[in-house]
Amino acid sequence: MNDGKQLDRRSFLGLITWFIGGSIGAGYSIPAIAYIVGPAARKEEDQAWLRLGAASKVELGTPTLFKIKVERQTGWITNEKELSVYVLTENGRDFVAMSNICTHLGCRVRWIASQDQFFCPCHNAAFSKNGEVIDGPPPRPLNQYQVKEEDGQLFVLGG
Amino acid sequence: MIAKIANWFDERVGWKVIWEAIFLRKIPKVNWFYTLGSATLFTAVNQAVTGILLTIYYVPTPDHAYDSVQYITTQIPMGWLIRGLHHWGASAMVVLTVLHMLRVILLGAYKYPREVTWFTGVFLLLVVIGFGFTGYLLPWDQKAYWGSTVGTQIAGAAPVIGDWILRVMRGGPDLSAVTLARFFGVHIWVLPASLILLVAIHMYLIIKIGISAVPKKEELA
Repeated sequence: MNDGKQLDRRSFLGLITWFIGGSIGAGYSIPAIAYIVGPAARKEEDQAWLRLGAASKVELGTPTLFKIKVERQTGWITNEKELSVYVLTENGRDFVAMSNICTHLGCRVRWIASQDQFFCPCHNAAFSKNGEVIDGPPPRPLNQYQVKEEDGQLFVLGG
Repeated sequence: MIAKIANWFDERVGWKVIWEAIFLRKIPKVNWFYTLGSATLFTAVNQAVTGILLTIYYVPTPDHAYDSVQYITTQIPMGWLIRGLHHWGASAMVVLTVLHMLRVILLGAYKYPREVTWFTGVFLLLVVIGFGFTGYLLPWDQKAYWGSTVGTQIAGAAPVIGDWILRVMRGGPDLSAVTLARFFGVHIWVLPASLILLVAIHMYLIIKIGISAVPKKEELA
């Protein structure tokens, strides 16, 4: 019938069918990918200065825990999240604000006053009062917040 | 190269026979009305794909259903499109199923030896209506709530067992969280399972028996 050089009716229709089918497939896949990754691609909400409390509550030379409530929009739900921040000062003027989230795998660390170190119960990690890694698997020191003092009140930059 | 890979697989899997049986089978000379079944199948695939995507965000409880649907429609990229395809595809599926059935009736395609294909088709129509009925409640807005209230009430009008049917459908005397959860369960598990099973039988028979030809006037004489 045809020696293959020329496109016959049958293979032409075959090609058209594949083309239409491929277009429909792409028409579904591309929006589907956007739909699935959408929330992940969303930018973090704007950061704001969050009030921790009175600077006078911080004991000299000892990390002091502040807990504050932050409102969070997750999907269609608005809920309150608790943010825990350890604040350290050596002179009452310069403050360091540290996250209580272990830099290894995200468990919460706590200050053990008797041992003078932060302890993470998940994998026995230890951090110094400045947040340096003393022991265990964490790859880097505890994260720090930007901190400022205004009228005796401490603020950290977060979201 | 491609032919080589295709042959390698064919030798081990034997897909070419299946491919030929499905897509290269001989059919009589027919008209465009004979594509209504394929069109219906296409809408079914559309409903499956978009429906699976919707379950990624939809939550079937009274305190989250409406908000999660609004979230899909207004916040998620292409969410309006996915929901729109599912919403309009649902109507299209009902319309196409009925048109396909009319073609089969008017051109006598339900007769020997295709009675079983017809029976599975009748059950498929019921499944499609069931999809429409259960899916209608899921957005949990006023239209959904009162539409399903009326719909279940109509089922309750049946003599003797009506009230019992209504209670089973609602999971109690009133439309509630239980109703929403069971409509969702039926919509995404029970009906899809039934649909796949019935479509599989329906398609097997179409391929096995072959489609009917357009009836000719001379054959009557």
